[in-house]
This record gives sequence, C-alpha cells and structure tokens, in this order.
Amino acid sequence: MRDFMGQLRGRLLKLRCPTARIERLVHELADHREDLKQAGLAEGLSEADAEARADASLGDPLVLAEQTMMSVRRSTWWGRHCVVTFGLLPILACLLWYLMLLCEMLLVYALGYGCNREKLHVAASNPVTLHHLLLAFRFTDYFGVVLVALLFFWLAQRTAVKLRWMVISCAIWSLMAVIFWAELKPNTITASETGLTLTAGGTLSTDLASMPWFRATIPVLVAGAGYVIQCRAVRRRLQRATAG
Amino acid sequence: MKKTNPSFLNGVPELLVLRLLSKEEMYGYQIVEAIRSQTAGALSFGEGCIYPYLHYLEAEKQVSSRRQEVDGRNRNYYKLTQRGQKRLQTLTDEWNRVTNGVALLMEGKYA
Repeated sequence: MRDFMGQLRGRLLKLRCPTARIERLVHELADHREDLKQAGLAEGLSEADAEARADASLGDPLVLAEQTMMSVRRSTWWGRHCVVTFGLLPILACLLWYLMLLCEMLLVYALGYGCNREKLHVAASNPVTLHHLLLAFRFTDYFGVVLVALLFFWLAQRTAVKLRWMVISCAIWSLMAVIFWAELKPNTITASETGLTLTAGGTLSTDLASMPWFRATIPVLVAGAGYVIQCRAVRRRLQRATAG
Repeated sequence: MKKTNPSFLNGVPELLVLRLLSKEEMYGYQIVEAIRSQTAGALSFGEGCIYPYLHYLEAEKQVSSRRQEVDGRNRNYYKLTQRGQKRLQTLTDEWNRVTNGVALLMEGKYA
C-alpha cells in the first residue's frame, strides 16, 4: 500500500499535480484497493496475497500518474491547446500591454491633472510634473511586462503543463518586449503650449545598444523565478509527503 | 461518407463508462466490476486508470459526482449528466456504424 500510494503521490507531486486532485485520487484508490483486498480475502487468499493482488490489479503507479496528469491537462481549454496558449498568446499579449498603458495614462491624467486639455498642457510644461508623468509611464510599462509574464506563469500552474511551456511563453514575450515599444513625449503645439503625445509601435532595431534590454530581461527573470519557486515547492511537498 | 473519428477506438472506455452510468449511479470499483462481468472478462486494464478517466469526464461535465458515506466509508458516486447523455448517443451511433462495417467485412458479403 505504502509503496503503491507513495510512488503515485511522489510522481504526481513531481509532475506538479494540484494537491486537491492528488488527495482525491489517493482516497478513491485506497477505497478501491480495500474493495479488491476484501474480494481476495473472500476468495480465501491470505492477507498478504490479497494485498499483493490488489496492488497488481490497480496497475503501474507511474503510468497512472501520467494518465492523471493527462486528464488534468485536458480538462481545460488552455491545457489542451498548449501551442496556442503558450506560443501564440504571448504575441497577442501586446494588445493587453498597450491597453494597460493607455488606461494607466488616462487614469493618471484624470486623477492627478484632470481630463482638461489646459491642465494637461500645464502638466506637460512643468518639468517636475512631466518628470512624474514619465516616471509613472515607465513604471506602468515595466509593470505591464511583468504582469503579462506572471499571467503565463499562472496559466502554466493552472493547467499543470510542463514548465518548459511557461519558459517558452516568457521567452516569446521577452522577444515581444524587445520589438514593441511605447513612448510618452512632450509635444510642442504652439510657442506657448506644450502637450503630451503617446506613441507606440513595433520595430526591431539593428543597433544592439539602443534595444530595450532591461525590458526584455524582465520576462526571463519572471520565468527563472517561477521555475525556482515551482521546483522548491515540489521538493517541499515531496519532503512533507515522505515525512507523512 | 462520414469519416471515422480517428480517436474512436481510444474512446471505447468512454463509451463503456457512459453506458454503465446511464443505467445507475456507481462508484469506481462498481464500474470496474461491471465492465469485467458484463464483458465476460474480455477487457482487462489497470483498474486505477478508471479514476483519471472519471475525473476527466467530470471536468468535461459528462458525469457528476457526489460523496456518500456507505458502511463507514466515504465513496464518490458518479452519474451521467445531460451532456454525458448526448455524448453517449453520439458514441453509440459511431460504435454501431463501425461494428456494422466490420461485421460486413468479416462476413465477406461484398467480397
């Protein structure tokens, strides 16, 4: 019993199966094994023989763990379509990032400076205010990049797919962070009026020095941190299971 | 001519489980025993694999489960849902089509 359930639990933990699913499966299998054992005893087998037969009937715990993971992954649309979720979605995530930037800027204007055109001009003409605005903009830009990377980390966890999918999606998102950019610039409207212009686009510069390397590193850092966190969590859960 | 679903033969366990659950609510061990007895032992498999399968069907909302204590043991009973009923109908139709085709070939009527 300990061997079968121990092997199964250990393998499922290594494959990052949700704990609730493991507990449910182990509970049902323990029940099933007890039924098999009782049937064996009723046939006149010794307790040891009945238990050995019950374990053999349940099948290979490692194969069972793989089947369980397959059923976990197939139970969500995201898990069934890994290529779309972790290969194509990072490309579309640019839209989410743009949207975030836009919403943030609108919010900052509305809360801090009002939606009034004149106030905006005053804000853009004032160097200190402009500095704050640009800082908020840069922060939102980085925050958006982090948020999208975290979204893929969360999706990888939710669907229990192999960690390499999370790494792939973050790598693609990292590439997107190199290509796509957004800029907030003071814009001279008339001699006395200065406004702000938000521009965004996608270019792949050949000048390596001008590329936004810091932005590109963020998703890779998130993926690395996620990988380490996951591995540690698995190790901790395994230790707890072994101790239990 | 309608094409045969390539995963159809892999869907045999699904057909069996849905068919059994369409008759009555059952728990895992009962399902395995029913498959064994009603197929005269022709189908053998690692019995544990029924559970990932049932969990998958539940996620697909083809079956639903509820816990019930019987003789001091907490059992998970599974039953067919409306969606499962429809899926069973589809699988049964496909199964009949394939077995009829195979039967014709085996009898050699059109040889």
